[in-house]
Order: sequence, then C-alpha cells, then structure tokens
Amino acid sequence: MADSDGEYVQDASDDEYLGGINSYGTRTQGKGKVRARENARPQQAWESAIRTGLDTFKEAADGTIQQSVQEREEERKRKRLRKDARPFQRGIIRHVVLVLDLSEAMLEKDMRPNRYITIIKYTQEYVREFFEQNPISQMSVMAMHDGLCLRVSELSGNPTDHIGAIQGLRFPKNPRDVPKEPKGSPSLQNALELARATLYHTPSHGTREVIIILGALLSLDPGDIHATIKSCVRDRLHVNVIGMGGRLRICQEIVGRTNAGDESGYVVATDQESLRDLLLATTTPPVIRSTAAETFSGEMETTATPAESAASLLMMGFPSRIIDNVPTLCACHGNLTRGGYTCPRCSVKICSLPATCPGCHLTVILSTHLARSYHHLFPLRLWKAVSWHKAKKKGSRECVGCLSLFPDPPAEETEASNGIIADDASDSEVDDKAEEEVGQQKASESSRYQCRSCKSHFCIDCDLFCHEVLHNCPGCLSQANSSAAVVQDVNTDVAMIG
Amino acid sequence: MNAIDATDRHIKSTDGPPPSLLAIILDTNPHAWAHLSSILPLSKAVASLLVFINAHLASGNANEVAVIASHSQRTHWLYPTPTLPTPHSTSTSNGHDANGTVPENANKYRPFAVIETAILSNLTTLLNSTTASSLSATSTTQISGALSTALSYISKSHIRHSPVDPTINDHSTITTPDTDGILGQQRVSLTSRILILSVSGDLANQYIPVMNAIFAAQRQRIPIDILKLAGDTVLLQQACDATGGIYMAPESPQGLLQYLMMGFLPDATARRALVLPSAGSVDFRAACFCHRKVVDIGYVCSVCLSIFCIPSLPDSKCLTCDSHLSLSTTLTVTPALIPRKKKKRKRGPGESATPAGSSTPAPGSGTPTHS
Ligand SMILES: [Zn+2]
Ligand SMILES: [Zn+2]
Ligand SMILES: [Zn+2]
Ligand SMILES: [Zn+2]
Ligand SMILES: [Zn+2]
Ligand SMILES: [Zn+2]
Repeated sequence: MADSDGEYVQDASDDEYLGGINSYGTRTQGKGKVRARENARPQQAWESAIRTGLDTFKEAADGTIQQSVQEREEERKRKRLRKDARPFQRGIIRHVVLVLDLSEAMLEKDMRPNRYITIIKYTQEYVREFFEQNPISQMSVMAMHDGLCLRVSELSGNPTDHIGAIQGLRFPKNPRDVPKEPKGSPSLQNALELARATLYHTPSHGTREVIIILGALLSLDPGDIHATIKSCVRDRLHVNVIGMGGRLRICQEIVGRTNAGDESGYVVATDQESLRDLLLATTTPPVIRSTAAETFSGEMETTATPAESAASLLMMGFPSRIIDNVPTLCACHGNLTRGGYTCPRCSVKICSLPATCPGCHLTVILSTHLARSYHHLFPLRLWKAVSWHKAKKKGSRECVGCLSLFPDPPAEETEASNGIIADDASDSEVDDKAEEEVGQQKASESSRYQCRSCKSHFCIDCDLFCHEVLHNCPGCLSQANSSAAVVQDVNTDVAMIG
Repeated sequence: MNAIDATDRHIKSTDGPPPSLLAIILDTNPHAWAHLSSILPLSKAVASLLVFINAHLASGNANEVAVIASHSQRTHWLYPTPTLPTPHSTSTSNGHDANGTVPENANKYRPFAVIETAILSNLTTLLNSTTASSLSATSTTQISGALSTALSYISKSHIRHSPVDPTINDHSTITTPDTDGILGQQRVSLTSRILILSVSGDLANQYIPVMNAIFAAQRQRIPIDILKLAGDTVLLQQACDATGGIYMAPESPQGLLQYLMMGFLPDATARRALVLPSAGSVDFRAACFCHRKVVDIGYVCSVCLSIFCIPSLPDSKCLTCDSHLSLSTTLTVTPALIPRKKKKRKRGPGESATPAGSSTPAPGSGTPTHS
C-alpha cells in the first residue's frame, strides 16, 4: 500500500507541472475555446491516464461546464476507435499464442476483485472478439504458473474450446482437479519456448504471434533468455506484451527484437479498463512489414530469416449445406446432427465451419467467412471533427445516418473572432493529415463528424457505430458515384503500401 | 425475465410487448419497376406497403417505423423526413414542409395520415428528381447505402431507448457473443428488424459493403427479412440466413399485401411462437474473382483473400492485390500424408499400440499438422 501511495504522489507532481505548461499556453492564446490537452512529447500510457482528473474541465465563455463535459465524454468515446483506418497489408490468417500470467503477482488487488479473476473474465471476452474479427485464424492459450508454462488449450480455430479451457482454470471440469490459483513466479523463457514449439509447424503464409499478459515485474528463467529471443526471431515470431504496473527492460527487448525494432507492441495497462482496451486492440490483424524493412534493421540474423510475407495461394473448399431427414454422424466430433456441410473433395460431413476437413485436411470455409475479414483490408477512414465555422458553412442540421438533430450553432458572432477563424484555416488541410497520422481523436465542438470522402456530417454515436461495427459510411454508399470511387481509392492504396 | 435489468424500469410504463422498430427498405429501381409494371405497378405496391405499415403501428402503441428508398443512384429517406442542410444559416424553418401539410381528415387516424403524407410526398420528390441521364447510367440500386443507413438509425434508436449509460451499451455491442442470445435479449428493450422489398437482381458490385452490413446486423441481432418480387440474388439470401430473417420470393407479386401481412407482420417476439416460412437451401458456394464462375474448391490469395478458380495465375501474381504468390506449399504437398508421418514419429515409442487413436486428436489440434 505504502508503495502505491508514493507512486501516486510522484505522478501527481508531474501532473501539476504539465498542467502548468498547458494553462500558460492557453493564456497567451486568449480565452477562446481551449483544447484540453496538447502534449509536447508522446506520453506513456500510465502518465496520460492519471491526468484525466477534474482539472481538465474548463469553463466555457458563458461560465458553464456543460459543453466541456459533453466534449470530454465524446473525446473519451472517440479514443476507443481502433486505429486501423489506414489501409495496409495485414496478416489476415493469424496464428496466435495467448500467454496468461498465473504467478502470485496476479493476486494483486489493484483490479477488482483481483488481477487473476479480471484476466480470466477479459480473456474469455477476448477470445470471442478475436474469432469474430479473425474467423480463419488459430489460437492457443498458455499459462505461466509457478515457474512453468502450461498449455491451457491446443492451437485451434474454435472459440468454445478456448473459452472452456480458460473457465476450466478456475472451475475445473473434473471435480478432482484443483483450481489453478496464481502461484510462484512467471518464466518468460519457458513461455517463449513453448510458444515457439507450438507455432513451429504453422504455414508460412500466416502470422506467428505471441501475446503475453504479464502481471509480474520479474521473470524467473532456467537459462539464457537472450538465446531464446534469438531463436524466436529466427522463427519469425512476433511478440506483444501487455504489462501491468510498470515497464520491464527485458520485455522491451523481446518486443523490439521480434518486431524489427518496433517497440510499440509493449504496452502497460494502468487499470482494468485500459487492460481491456489494450487486449482488444490486438484483435485487429497486424500490419505486415515489407521484407525490405525487415532485412534493413541491422541486428537481425540475415541468414535464416525467411521472407516475411510469403504470400501464397491457398486451396480451400467451399462446401454446400445439406439438410438430412435423418440424423447422421459428423466426421469431426462423431455427433448425430441433421444439418451440416459436405467436404467438396472427400464428401465427409462436417457440422460446423470453418474447419479443416478431418478426412482430407482441406480447409473448408464459407465465402462469408472470408468476407468477414474484408473490412480490415478496406477499412473505413476515420472521420474528422467539424468546427463551428464549417458546420455553419455547410448548415447541416441533423446526422445523415440517424437523423438526430445537431445542436444549433451559437447565435452570437463573438465566438467567431479572429482567433478562431485563423485556427480554422490552419486546421483544415495540414491538421487533417497530421491528425490521421497520429491517430489522435479529438471531440468536435459542434458535435459533428465529417466523412472525408462524401463530406456528410454524422453524430458521435454513428461515428462509433460505423467504425466499430458497420465499417461502411452510409453517406458514401448512398451516392452511386462516390462509393465506387472510394473502393478504388482504397484498393490502390493497398497495392502501393503492400 | 427482464426484472433484474435496470433498463426495465423505463419500459414498464408501456404495458405489453416491447416496442418494435421496423425499418423498411423499398427498392425503387426504375428499371425493375418498369419490368414489373404490367403485373404490379409501383403505386399499388406503395399502397399495400402503407397498409402494412399501418398494421405494424396498430399492433403496438410504441411501435415505430422508418422507410428508406434505395434508388438507382442514391438512397432517400421516405420517413422520417430529413431536414435539409441550410447553408450559412439563412432560415431555420425549412424542410418540415412534408410533415406540416397533413390534410385534416376526420376519418383517418392522425398518425397514419402523417406517415402516409410524408412517404408519398418524399417519394414524389425522389421520382421527380430522377433524370433520364441518371437512369441510363446504371441499372442497379444502392442497397448497401440503404442498409447502412437503416442500421445506423436502428443503432441510434437503441441508444435512445435504453436509459443505460451509452458506453456500457457500446461495450456490449462489441463483446456480446454470437452464441448466447439471452444476454443480448435482456438488455435491448427495443426489438427491431429490417424488411427489404427488393426488385433488383445483380448486386455483385456492392458485395463488400453489403457483407459488412450483414455482419453488423448479425452482431446487433437485427433480422433482415427479404421479400423478393423480381430478380434474383444470392447475396440477399445469405443476408437472411445469417441474420435469421425470413426470405420469400412469391411467384405472384399481385398478392403483395397478403404476403406482407401473413409473412412479415409478426415481430421478433411473436416469431418465437410461429412456424416461419423457411428459406430452403441457401447457395453458399463462392464465385471466383476472375471469371465469376461458381467454384467448389478455390484458390485463395493469402494477402487479400481473393478467390480464384485456377491455381496458375499469370506471372503467379494475384489479380487483385498484385502480390507475388508461391504455390508450392499448397499444391506440391499432399496434405494428408505429412501430418501422419510426424504423428507416428512423435508418438512412436510411447503409444504405438493404438494407431487409430493417433488419428483422432488430429482434427482438434488442427493446423500444426497441415503445413
Ligand atoms: Zn462435428
Ligand atoms: Zn475432405
Ligand atoms: Zn447519427
Ligand atoms: Zn462518406
Ligand atoms: Zn475464375
Ligand atoms: Zn491478393
């Protein structure tokens, strides 16, 4: 307890200091509308989270904080938009090993009721979301427990297998088994070695990823972990680490080495909510780096690194659905089922898809499963916030998607003083690019958000819905010409980057 | 069963079944309606639709309706009437004309009259604004735009109806699993569905956006019903199948009203107690991107997931994304043989006694074997 108190005080003083800079800056600009945060340097996760205190409320010109509260709410919502708006070549076929920490550090109560129960709850949610986003991918779950790494579930594409196994950690199916309570220290080396062995046979067209959730601030390894890291690099593993409480030098090294020097895969969760967000952020398929960049980064062994994006043509079966009058056995589980699918190559009956045919090992899939991944390849670009000035110019009165009314622009012209207009001018083009690059999402003062291609205005709820669930822009698709143009545009972008 | 849910307190005032939102997408593709005109003119179809809407509104106090036209070039709101943008804030009382001039008729229930006038006047505006040049440009319909708009509208209505903190709502829309329906049912106080009155055929050019919309509907548990008066498209059949909607392709479109009232009036709550018209068999086979040929076994680009019917592409480059594709891994290796060898080698000393047993875990362990 004493420890965490000390930490808090330290952070708070840091916070004061930054706050000082902010208020100084705004004073010189005059008392117009104030964007709450402008940070000179990129912040680490734990710093920014603590700063969302009361001090970020700013009084509006008329002395109310109503507008400010609403803006903060919207800003918080928009932050959650996944930052996958730029078209990149992505690894759609993923092989992921999820490593959970079950060491005694997970008994810590900084998450409710404790880290262990929180993580069991979130990973089940995570598995569902993962297969929702990556229907043709495979996953395996492991746990670091008392110095060892245990295999919780085998590599498979069926979410219920994993969820059952994760639940089984706390509530074992076999009543004689003891529930796995957190114990001992974690071993990153053992975890990496087991993950490497699991992913060793996966085909080269898919990704090989390891996602480690680490609660402890140590790793108790039986040997030289640097040798293990080296062999992970050789086997093209990509390791992401989600830490808790603090950053570790060794994790930074693991992530950096296995991701061609990019350390952004190492993140630290400050609280429950951020842990969940960080976890869910990894459900987006990773960007595939071009092979050139891979060999360029110096410290890699150039000898054994195979081509990263060894694209290949996969043979897949597209079965037809059958409905039998009498139940028959399925080949995959041996259950009696009425409906099912027949493998187009060996005519074996399979009860659920996607699956690998048990008879001939053909990947059997529905074309709709492939279509589920298309939105990663042709993502919807993020929308930009609309200033009062522009909102007035366009005169939009309601959201194009849901027809809910926007707030009316402020009647008095005092708002549109020189400062604001100048701000607008600079805002428009330069900021447009920059904002997208950084991926920083501000709230809109006018509660309007504009699609970059069709220029329609939307409300915050539609913004979130369209980017998180729908992946379409209702405005673009409602005009015949622009929709075709957008798809083409995205297509060329993919080709250029990929 | 809703009693433990905090959202319920708000709803309790409207005794009875939960309010139901019906979003209707009327395909107004002029080409298709021209074909149909001898059997079922658009005017008659709209008249039937209005009766159906009234029936829907009458079957529940809090029921709502939204109508969107999916025209050849754009989508258009028929009800509720959108407010047009007024550039440079000139006048504020604009765009409500359609609702403002409801003729007073003592013999008509006023809400019915309001909707009828709005739909008819908006439809007239839409048809009047259709020019000959725009007609010749395309013969398809903007069904993807209409679906996206309808889904956004429904999603906002859900937020409006549940007094829960919208962030909680958002979280659960992301995370609600496909598999268990109970959780989603309890939270959502508004049941909604989409009905598409479709007359157009080929929609292949909108494949990706329509698919995105289908998955969104599936996640939100919004059934998409299809009444297909003309044309034929696999895409909409798949939409029905994926979202648990009703698909009907009547042979005689003259009986439109009958089909609507009998097949599509019951909402999700009532449907649980009914035997529904079944979609029959749905065609799930994929069409190749190169010749639009339906294939059983296809070759899929691992980068962009395009489907091809032949393994030998020109220059062994993907036709969609241009990446260089190696065929070696899938074609030169016979998939069934390699894993067997590994299994035997690994398990040889330990459990060689049961060769049959060694093949059973194979499907479970999945891919490590099928390299
Ligand atoms: Zn089965
Ligand atoms: Zn087979
Ligand atoms: Zn909206
Ligand atoms: Zn747009
Ligand atoms: Zn072909
Ligand atoms: Zn491709």
